[in-house]
Formats: sequence, C-alpha cells, structure tokens
Amino acid sequence: MLLASYIFYAAWNPPFILLLWLSTVIDFYVGRALYTQPDGHKRKLLLVISLIGNLGMLCFFKYGTFLLDNFTSLVNLMGADYHPAKPNIILPAGISFYTFTTLCYTIDMYRRESKPVKSLLDFSLFVTFFPHLVAGPIVRPPQLVPQFETPRTASQQQLLNGLLLLSLGLFMKVVLADSMLAASADDVFNERSPLQTLDAWIGVLAFSAQIFFDFAGYSTCAVGVALCLGFVLPENFRYPYAAIGFSDFWRRWHITLSAWLRDYLYIPLGGNKNGRFRTYINLMITMLLGGLWHGANWTFVVWGALHGLYLWVEKWIQGFRKRIPVPVIVAEGTGAIPVMPKDVKKNNLRNFLLAMITFFFINVTWVFFRAPDFHSARQLLTSMFSAVRNGATILTTLAIIKVAVIVFFLIIFHWLMRNTSVIAVANKMPWWLLGLIWAVLLILLIWSQESTSSFIYFQF
Amino acid sequence: MNSSPLQKAGILAFTLVIIAVISWEWYVRSKGFDTSYDDGGALWTDKRKMVYEPSDITTVFVGSSRIKFDIDVELWEKLTGTKAVQLSCVGSTPLPILFDLAADKKYKGKTVVDVTEVLFFSGAPPNRATPDENLKYYKEETPAQKAGFQINRFLESNLVFLDKDRLSLNAKLAKLQIPNRPGVFEFPLFPDGFGRSKFSRQEYMTEQFLADTNQQNQTRGVWGTLAKMGAGMPPPSPGKIDTLFASVKNAVDKIRSRGGDVIFVRTPSTGPFWMGENMGFPREKYFDRLLTVTNSKGIHFLDYAATKNLQCPEFSHLSMADAAVFTKEIVRVMQEEKGWTFSHATTSAN
Repeated sequence: MLLASYIFYAAWNPPFILLLWLSTVIDFYVGRALYTQPDGHKRKLLLVISLIGNLGMLCFFKYGTFLLDNFTSLVNLMGADYHPAKPNIILPAGISFYTFTTLCYTIDMYRRESKPVKSLLDFSLFVTFFPHLVAGPIVRPPQLVPQFETPRTASQQQLLNGLLLLSLGLFMKVVLADSMLAASADDVFNERSPLQTLDAWIGVLAFSAQIFFDFAGYSTCAVGVALCLGFVLPENFRYPYAAIGFSDFWRRWHITLSAWLRDYLYIPLGGNKNGRFRTYINLMITMLLGGLWHGANWTFVVWGALHGLYLWVEKWIQGFRKRIPVPVIVAEGTGAIPVMPKDVKKNNLRNFLLAMITFFFINVTWVFFRAPDFHSARQLLTSMFSAVRNGATILTTLAIIKVAVIVFFLIIFHWLMRNTSVIAVANKMPWWLLGLIWAVLLILLIWSQESTSSFIYFQF
Repeated sequence: MNSSPLQKAGILAFTLVIIAVISWEWYVRSKGFDTSYDDGGALWTDKRKMVYEPSDITTVFVGSSRIKFDIDVELWEKLTGTKAVQLSCVGSTPLPILFDLAADKKYKGKTVVDVTEVLFFSGAPPNRATPDENLKYYKEETPAQKAGFQINRFLESNLVFLDKDRLSLNAKLAKLQIPNRPGVFEFPLFPDGFGRSKFSRQEYMTEQFLADTNQQNQTRGVWGTLAKMGAGMPPPSPGKIDTLFASVKNAVDKIRSRGGDVIFVRTPSTGPFWMGENMGFPREKYFDRLLTVTNSKGIHFLDYAATKNLQCPEFSHLSMADAAVFTKEIVRVMQEEKGWTFSHATTSAN
C-alpha cells in the first residue's frame, strides 16, 4: 500500500517524493523524541525544529514568491529601487495537506495526546496513504494509524459503499464541476470588462457549485477508495450549502481543516477562554491564516477575513439574542467532527430562509476566493450589486440554464440531506431505485467525456 | 444465495450501464460516425515528442486547420518514406509552435509552415490560445497524463461514441441551439461531418459531409460569421507586421543554423473565402514578402496546374480526395523544384 501511494504521488511530479520522504522521516523521529524526551526545554526545542521544518518547507514552496513580491513592493514603497528576478518555484502537489497532517502528529506528540507510531512504515503510510495525500481529508494519527496495525480486507458492504461513493464523487467532479459549471465560472471570472448583473451572479453561483462539487467530489472519492480497501477516512463535507449561519457552515465545509484550525490554532491562541475581545481576535487570526492556507494571495486573506467578519457578526447576534447558544468554533473535544447543535435540526421555513441568507453571503466570499486580483473582484461585486450600464452579456442561455438547474437542485439536495448521509439514504432506498440512480450517474460520467481537469484543491 | 440491496443495486447499475453503452455505440455507428480522436494537448504532445527524429526521416508540419485537412499523412509517408509529424492547431497561428521549435536546440528538422494569412499575421490572443495550451501541456505533462493518454488511445480506437466534439453530453446540449440574449456571442456549430480527427492529427470531412450541401453551407456560414467578426477588428499595423516578419526570420535562421530547413506553403482556399483573403492579405505584401524576408522557399497553390483549380467544399479546406492530389503535388514540387530530398522516398509518386 505504501509503494502504491508513492507511485500515486509520483504520477504528478516524481522528484517531489524526496520532499515527502524528508518530511516523513524528520517528523517520525522528532515526534518520537517529543513524546519520550523528559526535559521540557529540549521538548520545546524539538517542537520548534519540527515547526520550522514543516512550515519552512511550506513557506518556501507555497509562499516564497508571494513573500518576495510583498517585500519588493514594500521596499519600493520606501524608496528603494529593488527588482529581484522572479523565482521559478513549482508547488509540490498537496504540500499544504501533508504538512498539516505531519504537523498535527508532532504537536500531538508534544502534548502527549496520543502515543507515537511504532513503525516508520506505518507512519509513512499514515502520511502518504494515497486517498488523502494530495487533497485531504486531513487525518489525525488516531484516526488512521490503528487501521494499519492489522491486515485489512474490505467487507462486501464496505466495498459496495466505497464503489457507490467513488461513483458519486466522480460524477460530482467530472459531470457537474468540470463539464457543466467550470466554463461559465471561468468565462465570468476571466472577463476583464464589467458584466450584466445576471451574468455576474450566474458566474459566481457557478463557481460556488463548482468548488463544492470539485472538492467534495474529491473527498467523496477519497473516502470511497479507502472504503474499497477496507479503511475508513473521516467525513470532510456535510452539505455545507444547507448551513444555517457561518459557524454551521464551517462545521460542514472542509470539516477536517476547520477542526485542525480549531484544535491547533484557535484553541492554542486561547480560544474563547479569555474574554469576548480575545475570542474575537483569536477567531479573526484563525480565519485569516485559514484563508492564507488556501493560496499565496491577498485575495485569499480577504476571503478569510470576510468569514471572520461573518463569524463575529453571528457571534455578536447570538450573544445579543441568547437564543441560539452555539459557540462559533466548538472549543471542547478534540474529535475531528464537531457536534451539530440540536436546535438547528428542525426543517422549517425559517431555517431554510436563514440557510439561504447564509448561502448568499458565502457566495460573496467566493468572489475573492476565485478572482485573480482585487480589481477583478471589485468589478465583479459591482456587477453583482448594481446595474452596470452597457455591461457585457457573455453567458449563453444554455449556460445560464445549466447553472440555474444545478444550483437549484444542489440547494434542495443539501437541505433534504443536511441531517443524514448518502450511505444511510442509499441503504434505505429500494434496491432498484438505487441501481437506477447509480446507473444514471455512471452513464452521465461516461457521456460527459471529460478527462483532463485536475482538482482545484490540488493547487493548495 | 442472499444478496444485499446494495449488491443488487450495483448489479442493476452495471447491467444498465453496459446496455446503455452498447446501445449508444451501436446507434452512433449506424448513423455513420467513425473513430475520431480528441485533438487536445495529449495527442499534440504525443506528436511533439516525435520531432527529434533525424530530419531525413521526419517532416514537421505547423500551421492551422488547412494543412491538417490538406496533407494526407499516410500518402505523404508513403511517397517520402518520412514520418509526417502534424503539429498544426485548428483556428490558430502557427507562430508560437514555430518559435518553440526554433528555441529548441535539439530540433533540426524539415519544417513545413502553413500560411493562412488571417491567422498567421494576426496578433489576436485567441488565435494563439490553443498552441500555448498545447505547449504548456507538452512541457508539464505528468506520468499520470502519459498513462491516461495511452488508455484514451486504446478506448478511442475502439469506441466511436468517444467523440467529445460531437457526441459528448455538452456537444449534444449545444445542438439544442437555444436562442441567446442580444449581445451574447456563441461560437457557431460545425456540422458532424466536418473536422473529424485521425490519430495522426490529420482532419477530414466525411463522405456524408461531401454529399450534403446543407452541412457544407452550415460550415460556410461559420466562416461567414468569423469573417464578420474579423472585419470589425483593426488590421495589424505595419509596425507590427514588420516585427512579425523579423521574428519569423529569426526563428527560421535558428532552425537552419542547426541543419534544419523551413518551407512556407499557401494551401488552397476558394470562393468568397479566397476573395476576402486576397483582398485583405494580397500575396505580394504578405506571402511573397514572407519568403523574401526569411530568404525561404515557398509553395503557393496557385502556381501549379495540379493544385490551382482544387475546390474546397466549404471554401477553406480540401476533401480527402483532393488532399491526396495536393499532397502528391507538393511532394513533387519539394523534390523537383525546392531541393528537398527524402532519402527514403519511393521512386514513383504516382
């Protein structure tokens, strides 16, 4: 399995396997030393070495150009005439994901929250296990390592569940994200002139749906493939566009990242234990860094800031009304998946409207996530929220219909499924109906004939 | 034997998918469709890797769609005994690819450059989008993409319904031709019988297309739409044209300095298309000047009895039968008039 995982990774860029090995070996030995070392100072030193090693590598490959650009702008602003050559740094696939995976291991070892992995091979497989390696879910050692300690064979049920999830994930990625939505989103976000309001909104909705189907599609494939092999990976998406409020959104979108940020950033910063002001500050720091994790561009930081702002407002309203006692990021517990508050489980019109309001504001954040620069983002927001005189009409009627139909069913599907799971529903469904739906997914997958687009989150 | 509901569902799904695929394959074959390959970055990259063969056994073609239709690859290879590497891109200027070959110090081959003036002398970014994408794919191709290409090749060679441009879900939806709002530009559709692609990247029109004047008129309509769009754009300035000539000369010189050679070919166009091209890009100011500036040999279809009266069914590309005539003639001209030798050439070009 380890060999297969390395071959899988080498399928993108073989030389970067060396980086993966380096990270794995260093963190395995540093992690063990952190757990066994009795001297507090030495433990801190080891932790610092691990953090510098992991984050240094991430900074160099992912943020090197960004840091140099900003440094250059700063010194030029101060009057210096400094124009360094552009570095040509290739981003290793999935570096953000496996860095967070190894980081959580060394931090857990420092905290002695779990026992060190006994074998380097098991640890290597934990880091490299191919379903989660390049785009998550971000796994914790206790979730996966015990599964490597005994030989595993997938049960028939696991295999069938896995195949169903794999089919669904591929359908989401290939048919919906790539074939139906990507072109409309690209057309709108690449347009340099102001747009008609309809075009702007359809483009943003197309991207909202595309990024969900792309990333959740990958996660569903990853969980499905792992299940086919007899391994269980944590859930990464739980119908996020049915979220009621922004804290609920982060319990449903990229669950393993938000749980990571909660446990390894927000709580160490103090979480909500040091008064309201510090809670707000900690929250914003977490969301800003979460934004920067997604990409080396200030637009991602603004995306994170907007989410931080939304969470502030939500928290303020909750504090004001005292009706929905939902902490913004649940402090208690260290499990990867936070518990959903009971009082948002009701399926009523009020909650649906709140979910739609949440969805509306989430769409605004995606503008900054997808736009190549602030000028484009501002122009698109202007087109979305004001009638642009002589704005360009670029989307065909067919493209608008595709996006509208898919987004409509996406929202309905999320709302109906928000408190359950695909596997649970599938196992309750009449077998002939499930078979029919499964066949339609596969036929559309074959019919779409898309073959070359990589997953959006591979670049992160 | 007891089966779980999920197992029954899986078996049903698998059965339905097999039935659907076989039925669809049978249906499209019955409608006259034949194997056609996805002419994307992967296939282009496969050909780009072939340019390093010694120049006496390889000829590289760069240009736009015309030379993809007008060179009969199999016949070329039979007549010359050399491998024909087709690197031309539909609707594109050949210059990014010519410049890439010139910059590649390992490349020293025979190069045939197709001159479709409206594309060759255009500086419009959309006309270089496909070459740029293909070059990017070539330079960044991953092992996964290489493996995927081999799998695709096997599948596309055996399944006719794998034809993204005509038979995919999006292609079928596009054929609904839903009216658009005023001001929306939608690229007009080509008929199914036009522009089918072989593994060699040669394109051709089907027999159905050649027998169906509706399909031919539909294609002529596409050219008309594109011509109207082009008419609204400012012509390239003299300064830009001079710069372009200089950059082409630089590229040709580089290839020659390594032992390679370049010939420019003006492939046939007819009817209103030829009239428009001749008015917008008169031969003496463009094609002839190109040969002078770059000190190159050229072949213009009007100069030879065998090619000057060839008729393009939709005004811009040759049928398979006429592509054979054109190919045979330019091989003869290259050997007898332009000094190109093909060491493995067959003795007779008949």
